[in-house]
Amino acid sequence: MSGAQILSSAFLVTWFAASVRLAGPVLLAALGETFSERGGVLNLGIEGTILLGALASFLVSLFTGMTSIALLVAVIVGIIASVFLAWMYVTVKASQVVTGLVFNVLALGIASTVYRRVLGDAALPESIAMFHPIHIRHLSDLPFVGPVLFGQTILLYVTLALAVLANFVLFRTHFGLALRASGENPAAADSAGISVDRIRYVGVLISGATAGMAGAYVVLAQVGLFREAITSGEGFIALAIVIFGRWNPLKAVGAALAFGACDALQLSLQVFGTRIPAQLLLALPYVVTILAISGLFGSKAVQPAALMSPYIKE
Amino acid sequence: MAKVFERRLRPADSPLAVAGTTALALVAAMILTSFLFLSYGAHPLQAYFALFREPFATLRGFGYALVRASPLALIALGTIVSWRSGLAYLGFEGCFVIGAAAAAWLALLTAPGARLGPLPGALFLTLAILVSFAAGGAWAGIVGVVRARLGGSEVLISLMANYVAIFILQYLVSGPLRAPGSLPETRQLPRATWLPFILPGTRAHAGILLALTAAALVWVLLKKMPLGYELIVTGFNQLAARYAGINVARRLVLAAFLAGGLGGLAGTVEVLGSQHRLMDGISGGVGFVGIIVALLARLNPIAVIPTAVLYGGMSVGADAMQRRANIPSSITFILESLAVLLVLISDVLRYYRINPSALWSRQSEAPTEGTSGGTLGGASG
Repeated sequence: MSGAQILSSAFLVTWFAASVRLAGPVLLAALGETFSERGGVLNLGIEGTILLGALASFLVSLFTGMTSIALLVAVIVGIIASVFLAWMYVTVKASQVVTGLVFNVLALGIASTVYRRVLGDAALPESIAMFHPIHIRHLSDLPFVGPVLFGQTILLYVTLALAVLANFVLFRTHFGLALRASGENPAAADSAGISVDRIRYVGVLISGATAGMAGAYVVLAQVGLFREAITSGEGFIALAIVIFGRWNPLKAVGAALAFGACDALQLSLQVFGTRIPAQLLLALPYVVTILAISGLFGSKAVQPAALMSPYIKE
Repeated sequence: MAKVFERRLRPADSPLAVAGTTALALVAAMILTSFLFLSYGAHPLQAYFALFREPFATLRGFGYALVRASPLALIALGTIVSWRSGLAYLGFEGCFVIGAAAAAWLALLTAPGARLGPLPGALFLTLAILVSFAAGGAWAGIVGVVRARLGGSEVLISLMANYVAIFILQYLVSGPLRAPGSLPETRQLPRATWLPFILPGTRAHAGILLALTAAALVWVLLKKMPLGYELIVTGFNQLAARYAGINVARRLVLAAFLAGGLGGLAGTVEVLGSQHRLMDGISGGVGFVGIIVALLARLNPIAVIPTAVLYGGMSVGADAMQRRANIPSSITFILESLAVLLVLISDVLRYYRINPSALWSRQSEAPTEGTSGGTLGGASG
């Protein structure tokens, strides 16, 4: 493949459009996880929550044909799952790492059991009802910018709006301040009259809602099918994006795009048949994330100080 | 006025209380899973009987149970070494893959006509164990160094490193080590490099002996050696360890190295004992299930062996159940993970004591000590 081909605008358009497309669901999950972690709870269980959301949206869309209801149900399922998770993290004060990891196995078991229980060996359609890319007159027809930014589904625009909203809530409201205080110094927050437990519950519930929605995003806007491995790794990528974006919703947008770009470039290069190993590109964002959290660049100060430590009132 | 459930200042930590609450949690998990069996029209008792019959009442099934238990036990032992040293290492998928790749690479080198050529069996096995232990150990050791020297979070770094390891594996089996053919996998390893089978008529291989040896060594390390004592003190309280003259940073790195080495051995056992080739997706989540085994064994190296055999056996039984009764094997994931979650929840029970006298008279003045620390009332879990 020649350099000219790589730089050809058709290649760039395909690559950028795919980057934006792949970034959507993980960004959505990362936005919610930012709230959970800012409040001091590392919710590793979003991996499983995303899977449950994906299954719920698939089944609802299959049986009702209505994508908006499927999306709503996925969000509700995400919230229900995270009520349990939040209870474990905040009330039982179990190890956050253990709870999250084990919950992911539980969710995998539940998802594949329910899927077989409900559908058995029933013949399935090629695809279920899905969100379609929306076409905006004039904007979508712009060269280059059109297909990249204005040829996406409604879910992407909702996600971007949520990123702006999340940034506002986190840094410009009382709730955001209370949440960040609970994650930095819960004892101080407590003596200032903040109910740390209640705030942390809300943080975890927000992460569950967006995780459920992210699962629906994958199913309803990208794949149109359900498989046990359909969302595998999305939750952990979202965790990486939270870190890479330094616990900041707007920076998370950039981080998600970086992850999406590596993923999409690897796909496109495979199509063009280059000799660069695809795995090198795929591993790149993880290596960068590891470097970002290694403490080599003094980034430890950014992490919420009370992350992973349950708050026990004296 | 005395309450029926009195809160303790510290949890009851007598062996009886721990065993009692754990048993309650397991029973609760089995009862909850029973509802799933019922939904398939299966009698729960018969279902459990079917689940355990294949792995524990047939020789062939028991052989498979041992095959699945060996890597689980080794990863669980790695979990114990790192977690008890205060290092919440989660990168066993990565160590497993790296160890498996190292062992497969060495085995392919000893194929007739390859660079090394055939080696005597014992020499090869020793080399394979050393190489994969060192490879897995180095992989995890880096995370230990980052945590000890730079203060980065080992939880997140080790999770991310798993992906890097999986991509390295994918690169190896689709590039340099790939066998001609359509699948991303290596050619079959030379027969001389396979772990010997130990039970005639079954697939059970020497990996379980390796796991048993490792369990004994980890027990000796943690219970009988000053080094193990220092690791555990580091795990309990790093400041206290430092005051006692323990080099905390060095202990953390050592713990990570040993944990990763055990994870690497798990990969070796899988590739030399069971798969006999390296392929994409060889780990299949075993790095996380191994952690679950360690947790259910309450981070006790001796209890790891029966727990791993139980887990390995359940997955064998579940496959048989799926074949015969068409009950999905994924139900065991639910059973296994519910068990751990309920054990975590049951820890709360140990914060309470039951006050029997208050059961009879609400005016009872002198609260009596409950010996087993509130093992009753577990139904709430």
